[in-house]
Formats: sequence, structure tokens, C-alpha cells
Amino acid sequence: MSASTLTLVAERAIYLSSVQDTEDRKAIARGLRERDPELLDFLIETYKFRLFRYLLYITANKERAEDFFQETWIRVLERGHQYDGKSKFEGWLFAIARHLVIDWQRQKKMQSLDSLMEPEQGAPLELVNESEPSPLSQVLSQEQETAMQSSLGQIAAIYREVLVLRFQEEMRIEEIAAVMSTPASTVKSRLYRGLEALRTALPEGIA
Amino acid sequence: MSEELHQRARRLIEKERVEGISAADQDWAASHISECATCAAFARKTDAAVRGLRGMAIPFPKDLASRTQFRVQLRAQELREREPGRRWMWAACAMSWALGLASAPYVWEIFQWIGEKTGAPKLVLQLGFGLWWTIPALLVAAVVMMESTRRDQESSWMRGQ
Repeated sequence: MSASTLTLVAERAIYLSSVQDTEDRKAIARGLRERDPELLDFLIETYKFRLFRYLLYITANKERAEDFFQETWIRVLERGHQYDGKSKFEGWLFAIARHLVIDWQRQKKMQSLDSLMEPEQGAPLELVNESEPSPLSQVLSQEQETAMQSSLGQIAAIYREVLVLRFQEEMRIEEIAAVMSTPASTVKSRLYRGLEALRTALPEGIA
Repeated sequence: MSEELHQRARRLIEKERVEGISAADQDWAASHISECATCAAFARKTDAAVRGLRGMAIPFPKDLASRTQFRVQLRAQELREREPGRRWMWAACAMSWALGLASAPYVWEIFQWIGEKTGAPKLVLQLGFGLWWTIPALLVAAVVMMESTRRDQESSWMRGQ
């Protein structure tokens, strides 16, 4: 097979995948408009890990993350008609979760997540510490995982947020900007600062 | 090696992980790293940070998904039950608005007739006619506001934390 044929095949695959994505998104939008209970169950099951992880990183508290997790899905049910299917569902989902957290922060006399700029002002990151062994602990030593958690805890929430969206959710910068309703330049600068902060916070042995 | 070269290499190392860089820049950075121990350590630490982030495993709380599904279903049922009532309310509003529009000339005639009988000034008549139109709209606005306040109170469980 020639290189040009391979390129055509790859382009076709990308096109088909994007058509599939678009169809899926439209189906989600239609189901949300109709408040389809099966679709909602399916979405909760599909996005549970990702949404909970995001909430845990920005709230830095397990119980609060659980409450926001439930409230986010209630909002998805109530405001489902607002999702038009043009953008990725997860971006819309995270934006709802983010706004809920910001509203809560505002009610606590804070302006936004930006008020957690200084690590000492923000709550320390309380990652879940349950008895089940995590997949990471099978790869890295427990010590390294603890070091990583502790390093993340030293970083301001606004940096943790962009780091989790970029490196765990693998979102593009434009998608992160859409979730956060901020310019892409702000996202980039937060990513660089966050990465620098994390690198500084990591103990010497981790490399 | 000049400090500028080190700074360029570090910028490229970070940029590659955050937004990606061109093949030429990748080659340049790789060649620099192979000759510079400090920048190589910088690259290793950046990779460790990114790898650590990607590998962070967060166990999902037991029953959270099923609890959420249950709550969502309850709320969906509640919304479905309320839906016909709301539809009737809006239908009544639409009907009232249409009737109001159709009957406006007759209503104005009635107001004029009252004015002739009572000798009330035209301004009072116009004000009365205006209120005749705005009161139903104000009532609907009040109902909508009450509805939204009630919904806010429903989610106030979250603020109590």
C-alpha cells in the first residue's frame, strides 16, 4: 500500500470517527432533552470516574466531591435541554461541575477558584485513601504515589484543575478553555505554572 | 554552553508536554539534552511529574454511582409529574394573553364609558387600562419567581456544608 493510500485510509478513519462522535453527541443531546432515564444511568456509569476525579482535584475533599458529583448529575437532568451536541459531552459536564463548585465557593465569601491561588489558603488535597490497592501502586512504589499526592496537595487548586484536565483527561487546550470559560492563553500559562509548581514540589528522588 | 540555550531547551521540554512542538524543535531539544546533564535532569523530572499525574489512581467511592442514579431517577419522576401542571399554566397564560389582545378595544370602550359616567380624568383611565394589562403578567412573573426560589431551596442542602 502506498503512502498516499495510507494517508487516505487514515483520513477516512478520522472522518468516520468524527462522524461517529457527532452522531453520539446528537443522540446524547436528544436523550437529555427527553430526560431518558436509561441514557442518564449510562452517562453516570460512563463518566463516573472522570467526573469524580475532576471534582476531587478541584474541591480537595472527598465528601464534598461526592456531594458535587450527585448535584452535577441532577443539574445535567434539569438543564439537559441546554446541551446542543455540538461540543463534547464531557466538556459540558465538567463545566457544570465547575460552576457548581464556584457557586459554592462564592457562597462561602470567595470570588472563585482563583481565591485558592495560594496553596496555604486552599484546603490540602485529601485524595481518597481506601483499602483497595490502586493500579498505580502496582507500577510505582507506595512511597512514590504518596510523594505525588503530597506534591499535588502543595499546588493551588487552579493549577491542579488544568493539570488534571490536560494530563488525565487528555483534553486539548481549547477544550479546557471552554470548560473554564477562560482564554486559551490563560490555560496555557496555568499549565506551565502548574507544571513548574509540581516539579518543584516533587521530592528529589522522583525522576 | 550559553544560558540562553539552556532556557530554550527547558521551554521546549515543557512545551512538548503541554502543547507539542515541531519535529525540528524536538530534534534540537533531544540533541541538547544528550549533551547537557542539567537539562536532561529537568526533562526527567518534568516527565516524572506528567507520568505521576497520568498514573494517579483515585478509587471511586462505593455506591456513589447507584446513589446518584437513584437520586436522578427520583428527580426525573418529580419533574415528569410537574410537567403537565406547568404546561397548563403556560397554556392558560397564552390563552389569557390572546383574549386580552382580542378584547382590548372593547375593554377600552368600557373604560371610556366608565370615565364618561364618573367623570374620571383620562390619565386615570389610561392607568387603569395599563394595569388591566400588566396585572396578569405580574402574577405570572410572581409564580415563576416562586418556582425558581423553591428550586434554589431544594439544592440548599449543599450550602449547609
